[in-house]
Amino acid sequence: MSSTTTNARSGPRAETGPHPLRAYYGIIAQLLAVIALIAFFAIQNPLFFTLMNFQNIGMQSSVLLLVALAGTLVIMIGSIDLSVGATVVLATLVTAIAVDAYGSLGGIGLAVATGAAVGLVNGGLMVYLKVPSFLATLGMMSVLAGIAGHLSGGIAIIYQNWAYTDLVNGSVILGLPNVATVALVTAAVLAFVSLRTKFGRYLYAIGGGEVVASNSGVPINRFKIWAFVVCGALCGLAGAMLAGQVGAGTPAAGSSILLNSIAAIVMGGTALSGGVGGPHRTILGVLLIAILSNGMDVTGVGGFTQDIVKGLVIIFAVALTTDRKKYQFIK
Amino acid sequence: MSLTAKPALELDGISKAYNGIPAIQSVSFTLKKNQVLGLVGENGAGKSTILGVINGVVSPDSGHLRIHGAEAAFGHPDEAARHGVATVFQEQGLIPQLLVYENMFLGREAKYSVGGILRRQSMIAEAQAVLDDLNIDNVDPRAVTGDLSFGQRQLVEIAKAFALARVYPVEPIILLDEPTSALSEKEAAKLFDGIQHWRSKASIIIVSHSMADIFRCCDEIVALKDGNVVAQLAAGETSPDGLHELIVGRKREEEYYKEFRQRDPGDRVILSARGLRKEGAVAEISFDLREGEILGFAGVLGAGKSVVASMVAGLTPRDGGEVQVGGRAIASGSSYQAISEGIGYVPAERNLAGIIGAHSLEWNLTLPGLSRVMDRSGLSISSRKSAELANFWLKRLRVRAPGRGALARSLSGGNQQKVVFAKWLARGVRVLVLDEPGRGLDVGAKEEIYDLIRDIAAEGTAVLLISDNLPELIGLSNRILVMRKGQVTAEFKADVGAKPEESAIVKHMI
Repeated sequence: MSSTTTNARSGPRAETGPHPLRAYYGIIAQLLAVIALIAFFAIQNPLFFTLMNFQNIGMQSSVLLLVALAGTLVIMIGSIDLSVGATVVLATLVTAIAVDAYGSLGGIGLAVATGAAVGLVNGGLMVYLKVPSFLATLGMMSVLAGIAGHLSGGIAIIYQNWAYTDLVNGSVILGLPNVATVALVTAAVLAFVSLRTKFGRYLYAIGGGEVVASNSGVPINRFKIWAFVVCGALCGLAGAMLAGQVGAGTPAAGSSILLNSIAAIVMGGTALSGGVGGPHRTILGVLLIAILSNGMDVTGVGGFTQDIVKGLVIIFAVALTTDRKKYQFIK
Repeated sequence: MSLTAKPALELDGISKAYNGIPAIQSVSFTLKKNQVLGLVGENGAGKSTILGVINGVVSPDSGHLRIHGAEAAFGHPDEAARHGVATVFQEQGLIPQLLVYENMFLGREAKYSVGGILRRQSMIAEAQAVLDDLNIDNVDPRAVTGDLSFGQRQLVEIAKAFALARVYPVEPIILLDEPTSALSEKEAAKLFDGIQHWRSKASIIIVSHSMADIFRCCDEIVALKDGNVVAQLAAGETSPDGLHELIVGRKREEEYYKEFRQRDPGDRVILSARGLRKEGAVAEISFDLREGEILGFAGVLGAGKSVVASMVAGLTPRDGGEVQVGGRAIASGSSYQAISEGIGYVPAERNLAGIIGAHSLEWNLTLPGLSRVMDRSGLSISSRKSAELANFWLKRLRVRAPGRGALARSLSGGNQQKVVFAKWLARGVRVLVLDEPGRGLDVGAKEEIYDLIRDIAAEGTAVLLISDNLPELIGLSNRILVMRKGQVTAEFKADVGAKPEESAIVKHMI
C-alpha cells in the first residue's frame, strides 16, 4: 500500500519473543505447588491421599470456587469486593427462609437476586458516588452483616425443605455432587466469557488500562457495574449452595470465605491491580487453597495456625504477582 | 555580581540515550553566577533531559557536571539539592495538603527541631523572612498550599529554593521549567519582576516555549536542536526569529513528509465543528474537515489545540458548540458515540492511553472493533476472524513483531504507534484524530508513520492533526489553523509547492 521501501533505520527491532513457555510459568509453578502440597500432606497422613478425601476437597471447595470466581471479575477490573463473604452469608439466610416459603428454585432465585442487588449497590457507589470500591464494599460488608444479624437473630436458620438439601448434595452427572457441578459449570462459563466474549475483553481492558479502554470506546461505567452485579449474583448462588450443604442459613463464616477467596484469586494469578489473570486462573488458585486447607485439617493443624498460614500465603502471593512497573507508590 | 567567581554550573560533554535513541549528545554549556539563562528548543530537543541531569534525576551515559566548581555525582537528587539546585516544575512539586511553610522546609526539618519536636514558630518566622526577602507579599506561610493559585504556588516553590539556601550555605541554582505556561499575564509580570530582583542571590535557568519570556529576562540563551547545543549566545545578539531559525533550523524535507503524495481534499465535508468551547481552554472555534483532508492545528503548549482534539474525539466534555459527522451530531463527552460514528483517536501518550502493554497485539488491535470479529452467533469472539484481522493489519502496516501474540509492551515505540493506528483502521473510521503522532519516535519510524498518514488520507479518511513539531505539521497538512490562547489566530493553506513558512505560522502562535 505504501510507495516507499521499508526503512532500515526504523529503530531497534522488537525483541524476539520471550521463551515460548514463559507465558505458562505461572501455571507451571501452580501445578508444581499443587503436586508438592499433595505429596507433603500424603506423607504426613496417609488418609489425605484417598478418593474419599478428594471427594471431600471437591465438596468443600465448590462454594469457595463460586465466590472466588465472583471476586475475580471485580479484581480483573482493578477494583475489589470485600463484601463477598457477607453477601454469601446473607444469601444463605435468604435461601433458608425462602426454600420453605417458595420451594427450592424460589430459594435459589431469591438468593441470586439478593446478591445481584448488593452488587448493583456496590457498583453504583463506586461509579456514581466515586467511593473507592475498597471502602464502598468494606462499608457494605458491615451493613450486610447487620442485616444478616437482624434476619437470623445471630443463630442459624434451619429450614425444613429436605428436598433442597437433596438437590444440592445429590448427583445428576457423573457421580459429582450437584454443588460441584454447578461450580464447575460456572467456572467453565466464566472462563469462556472472559476469554471469548466482548464482556470479558472489556473487563480486562478496564483493569489493564482504563484510559486506553475509554479511548477505544468501552463504556467503562456500565461494565464496571456489570462486573459488580455478576459478582454479587454469583455470591448469592454460592450462598444458596452453602445453605444446601449445611441444611441451614448460617450467620457466621463470612470472614473466612472472604479471606479464602481472595487468597485463591491472588494465588491463581489475577493481580490485585487488575487486567491480567481471570476466572480460568482462579480455578487453580482455589485448588491450591482447598488442598492447603484440607491438608492442614487432615494433618491436625489448628484453626489459628491455619489462619496464620493463609494470611502469609496471601501476602506472598501478592508480592509475587505485583507488577512493580505499574506502581511508583503503594499507599 | 562577580564575573571572576566560579560558574554556578558547568555541563561538559553530557550524553544520554534512551533505548539506544540519543536524547542529548555531548551537551556542554555554562551558567555563570547570578546569570539568567534561557534554554530553548522544540519538544524532544532534550531540554527536560538536561534539567533532569542537573537536578540529579537523570543519570547520563557520559560527561561531567560541576556545580559551583565541584564535580557532582550524577543521579542523586538529594545531593543536587544540597548544592542548592532547585527545580520548579510544570507539574508542581508541592504537597497540596501541607501548609506553605511545611512545604518550604520539607525534608529539612532537622534544622528546626529540638529533640525531634518541630519548632513551628521559628519555621513560620523563617519562612516569612524568606518570602519578605524575595518581595513575595501575596503568600501567607500558614496558608494551606492547595488553596493557593497556581501562580502563588509557583512563588512558593521558588521561595522553597531560597529557603534551602538558608539551610545549606550555598547560593541557589533555580531551574524554571515553563514557568509562565499556566500563569495569567499579571502573574507572569510579577514573576519576571521577581526574577530581576532575585538574580543577585541566585543563578537561574529558564526553559520556555515562549520566545517573549526568554527575551524578557534572559542574559544568555542556549539553543538546542535534536539533543545538541546549536548555539550559546547573548540575548542581545539574536532575535526571536533568529532564535527560532536556530532551533527548528532543519530544512523541511519534502521527501520526508511525503509531500508528493499529498492530494487535494474532496468536496464532501466529513466532520464539522461549530462554536466548540471549553471554559479556560478553547473559545468558540469552528471548522470543517473534508474527505481526505489533513487539517493541522498549530499552537504552543496550552494554546488549546489538544483540547480541541479531545473534544472532537468525545473524550473531553465541551462547554458549548457541536460536532457533526456525516450530518449526525455527536453528544458532548461521549467517546462511545464518537467512535460508533467513526471517529478514531491516536493519543499523544501512547503507553498510557493507546495500548495495553500486558496484552497481545491482536488483543489490542481488535479492542475498538470487537463487533467485527464476532462469530456467527454474535456471542463469542471468533479466534479465526480475530487472527485474520490482526494478521492483515500487522502485515499491511509492516509492524515488526514476532507475531500477533507478542505483548504490546515488547515492541519499539514506532511499532506500538502502528498498532494504535491499526486499532482504528481495523475498525474502520471516517475521521482520525492524531495527537502528536510522531512524538518519541526516531527518524525512521516517523517516516513510516507519515507514509501511513498519507495512505489513510488517500483512502478518503479525514485527518485532524495536532503537532508541536512545525515541520511535521506543515509538511503533512493540507490546511493549518493556528491557535493562541484558545482562539484561532490564522488559517494557512498548505498546498504542495506553496507551503507556508514556519516563521509565518510562529508569528500567530506567540
